[in-house]
Amino acid sequence: MHVPDGFLGPQTYLPAYGVAGVMWAAGLRRLRADLDAATLPRLAVVTAAAFVLMMITVPLPGGTTVHVAGIGMLAVLFGVWNAFLSLSLVFLLQALLFGDGGVTALPVNALAMGLVGSLAAVGAYRLLRRVNRDAALFAAGWSGTVAAALVVAGVLGLQPQLSRAPDGSPLFFPFGWKTTLPAVVIPHLVVGVADGVLALLAGRFLAPRSAPARSAERPGTP
Amino acid sequence: MRDRLLLLLYLGAIVAATFVHDPARLAAALAVVLLVSGTRAPRVLGRALRAAAPFAAAVSLGWLAAAWWEQRPAGAALLRLNLRVLLMTCLTFALAARIDLQRALGFSRTLRFALVLTVSQVLTFRRLYADFRLALRCRSPRRASTVTELRHGAAAGAWFLRRAEHDAAEIAQALDARGFFLDQR
Repeated sequence: MHVPDGFLGPQTYLPAYGVAGVMWAAGLRRLRADLDAATLPRLAVVTAAAFVLMMITVPLPGGTTVHVAGIGMLAVLFGVWNAFLSLSLVFLLQALLFGDGGVTALPVNALAMGLVGSLAAVGAYRLLRRVNRDAALFAAGWSGTVAAALVVAGVLGLQPQLSRAPDGSPLFFPFGWKTTLPAVVIPHLVVGVADGVLALLAGRFLAPRSAPARSAERPGTP
Repeated sequence: MRDRLLLLLYLGAIVAATFVHDPARLAAALAVVLLVSGTRAPRVLGRALRAAAPFAAAVSLGWLAAAWWEQRPAGAALLRLNLRVLLMTCLTFALAARIDLQRALGFSRTLRFALVLTVSQVLTFRRLYADFRLALRCRSPRRASTVTELRHGAAAGAWFLRRAEHDAAEIAQALDARGFFLDQR
């Protein structure tokens, strides 16, 4: 889902860096507030887990495969701010070490997937957990992915309106919302199902022993 | 210092590339990046093409189809978009590969520590995930079904999360035992 370099104009990524910068600072402040011997190793290792979760492919009918994002799973298991910081670090490493995504797209990817996706996932989980925990886990996985896809589609579709050449041709991503919303969101409704199933199964596997599985259930979290 | 300067140069070049809209200048900048890469140029170009091609090709083909349908020219916009994407990706592989991130981010001990820990865990986890995939493949006489793939993905995901928890606790104890957090305070 994440956007590569070259498709977002400076009118988008510079303000996005401003917003993401504030959010990163807030996240780090929270992290420092409860900084103990376990905080940094935990952030680093959760980041590595998030990185590898994005390598997990899920088959779709028709022979194609998609990569899950693992946003809902991370947000429910480790909390919104941990998920946001971890996913941001993942995108930075992917951009600089593996040429995947990009430095200019980093703040948009981090805000869409790390923050909005995580908030949607934890919101859905909290809304449904009293009704049925399994349904809540599935909804967290699905809504995290779909919410992030909506933001990415919105930002991409904004590009032709923000920057055009004198001849009217687009300077960056060329399609408007009419194209980006269905093209990005509809496939992610299916990817979201895979993410939901993974969140449900991972939540079930982890629930009996893992304390962090309660992180979205603790009062005051995120 | 060299790594920090290279990182700043890379970031400056990436930002500058988004302010250039003339295809000729973008092509010239791409040529300069490849020239500077020297003997690594074919490798840099190949990696950049492989990394950028899926998304750029999908967008370009869509834009070409739309332009053909509406009978309007698409060449200049397509050329500009693809040259810019290729230039930025080549810059990443040409420059970012030469930067030692740990040194470049050495101004913050905490940041450097988090980075070293993360990268080492990422490399370990990547290798383990490749092992898991190979294990699934060699134990499936036929191509694994969708349900098997899903169960494998979920089990691997859960395993990595549990392993992450375990590793985090173990690393924290190891660092604590060596007085790392005393030095931080």
